[in-house]
Amino acid sequence: MIVKQLKLVNYRNYSDIELNFSDKYNVFYGDNAQGKTNIIESVFFCASGRSHRASRDNELVKIGENNFYIKIEIENGDYDCTIEIGYDRKNKKIKINQNPIRKLADLMGHLKAVFFSPEDLSILKAGPSERRRFIDITLSQLKPVYFYNLQQYYKVLAQRNNLLKKAQGRKDLLDTLDIWNENLATIGSNIILERNKFINTLYHYTMENHEKLTNRHEKLEVRYSPSIKAGEYNDLNDIKKQFHKQLEKLKNSEILSGVTLCGPQRDDLDILLNGNNIKIYGSQGQQRTAVLSMKLATIDVIEKETGKKPILLLDDVMSELDEKRRRYLYENMDNVQTFITTTDRNLVEDSVLANGKIFRVENGTVTED
Amino acid sequence: MSFFSAPIAKLIEEFEKFPGIGHKTAQRLAFYVLEMPVGRVENLAKTILEAKQKTKYCSICGNMTDLDPCAICSSSTRDHSVICVVEDSRDIIAMERTREYKGVYHVLHGAISPMEGIGPNDINIKGLLSRLNGNIKEVIMATNPNIEGEATAMYISKLVKPLGVKTSRIAHGVPVGGDLEYADEVTLSKALEGRKEI
Repeated sequence: MIVKQLKLVNYRNYSDIELNFSDKYNVFYGDNAQGKTNIIESVFFCASGRSHRASRDNELVKIGENNFYIKIEIENGDYDCTIEIGYDRKNKKIKINQNPIRKLADLMGHLKAVFFSPEDLSILKAGPSERRRFIDITLSQLKPVYFYNLQQYYKVLAQRNNLLKKAQGRKDLLDTLDIWNENLATIGSNIILERNKFINTLYHYTMENHEKLTNRHEKLEVRYSPSIKAGEYNDLNDIKKQFHKQLEKLKNSEILSGVTLCGPQRDDLDILLNGNNIKIYGSQGQQRTAVLSMKLATIDVIEKETGKKPILLLDDVMSELDEKRRRYLYENMDNVQTFITTTDRNLVEDSVLANGKIFRVENGTVTED
Repeated sequence: MSFFSAPIAKLIEEFEKFPGIGHKTAQRLAFYVLEMPVGRVENLAKTILEAKQKTKYCSICGNMTDLDPCAICSSSTRDHSVICVVEDSRDIIAMERTREYKGVYHVLHGAISPMEGIGPNDINIKGLLSRLNGNIKEVIMATNPNIEGEATAMYISKLVKPLGVKTSRIAHGVPVGGDLEYADEVTLSKALEGRKEI
C-alpha cells in the first residue's frame, strides 16, 4: 500500500499544499510547532476517520477558516483509490473514488496505517480505555464490520445505561431490559470474539519482535483480559451464554448503580514483561521498547490478515530510541512506505535519506530538499 | 440579541421547530410568508388548521386519517388476518408503494428508547395486543432497522409469540437491482446472516 499524493486545504496550519511522496521513505524535518505532525495526522485521518490526538474535528480547521479538505491518492497493487474528506464545522463528507460514503465504516480498510508516536507510551501507562483504543483502531481497519459492530454496541450500551438510570421509577422501561440484554450480548459477543482472535495473533508477533529487539533477554506477552469470562473465546454461542449469565448475576447491582457493569466496554489488555505487569515493573526504557514491539507487531498482523503491508507513520520517535532500537526499526521499515517526522535530520539514517524524499517544514510551508 | 422585530423573530422560531429546518431556512421561509399577499397567508393558515382539525388517528390501527376507521382498516378487499407493525404513519405510505402488501397495519408512533424516556407504555403496543383476538394469523415487524427499531420489534415479538400468533421480521440486506460488488461489507454480512434456502 502506497500513498502517492496528499492535498491539504485549510487543514491545521496549512492553507493549500500538495505533496508527492516517495514509495519508500518520506522524512519531514523542521523546528517545533511548524506543522510536521499535522501532515501525518491528516494521512492517519484518512485511514481511521479520526485524528490520533484531536478529539473534535473542529480543532482541525485552520484558524479563521470554516472548512478543511484532505485528498489522498493511494496505490494498492492493481486497486488505486482516492479518498477525500471535507468538513465544514458541521458535517464531515467522505468520498472514495468520487463516490460519497454513507457511513464511517465504509472508509475503513481503504488505507491501512500504523501510527507510532512517543505518546503511545500511554498504551502501557494510562487506563484500559487507551488499550481498547489501540485494539479498536487496528481491528477496525482490518474489519469494517468490527467497526460497525462497535458503533452499534455503544448505541445499545447508551440506551441500556439510560434504562438502568431510570429503572427505579419506570417499571415499564425495566420490562424491556431483557431486550437490551439480548442486543448487548449478541453484538458484544462478536466484538469479544474478534478481539480475542486479533490479540492472539498480536501476541505471537509481539513476542517475536520483542525477542529480537532484546536479544532474547526479555519476554513480552500481550494477553486479552475480557470482562466477560468464558472458557473458550472462539465459540460465539458460548460467549453469548456467559454474557447473559453475567448480566443476570449483576442485574441488581446494575440497577442500583445505574450503569452496565460488564461487557467489552470494560475489556483490558494484560501486558507482561517476563511475567510481571509492565506498567508497574517496567522501566521507562523497557516500556518504550515494548510499545515499539507492539506497534511493529500490528504491521505484521495487518500484513498477515490482508496480504499487504500498511503504511507506517512515525511521529518524532527517532529521538526517543537508542541506536540499536533505531536500527531494528529501520530493518522493519523495509518494503513499508514510511513517513517520519523529526526535529533533527541527523537522527535519520543515511540509507533512509538516500532512498526517500526529504521535506523541510517551516511555518505551514513544505519544501522538498 | 435579535436583529428582527418581535413578530418576525417569533415566526422564525416557529419554523425552526420543524424537522429538517435550520435557522437559515427558517428565516427564508419566514420572509417568504411575509412577502406573500394577505389572502394567500390566510389561505395557508386556514389549510393548516383544517388539515389538523379534519384528521385524527384511526381508532384501530393508529394511522393518520380523515375517516375513522381509516380506508385501509375499513377495506373489504384487504387481508385482516395479517398486521404489519410500523413506527410511523409515513411508513405505511412506503409499504403501500410496494402494491404487494395486502394486509392491514398498526402504527406504534415511535420506538422504545430509554434515552428519550420512551418505554413500551408510551407507544401504541396496547392497541396492537387488543387487536390479537384470534383472527390474526401473522404479525410482521417492520420497524426501522436501527437499534431502537430492532429492540421494539424484539419486545413486541416476545409479547405476541406466546399468544400463538406467527411473528416475522422484515429482512435487511442487499438492495435489489444493485451490483453485489458495490454493496458494503456490513450490509452484505447482514444479508449473509439472513440468507434463505432456495
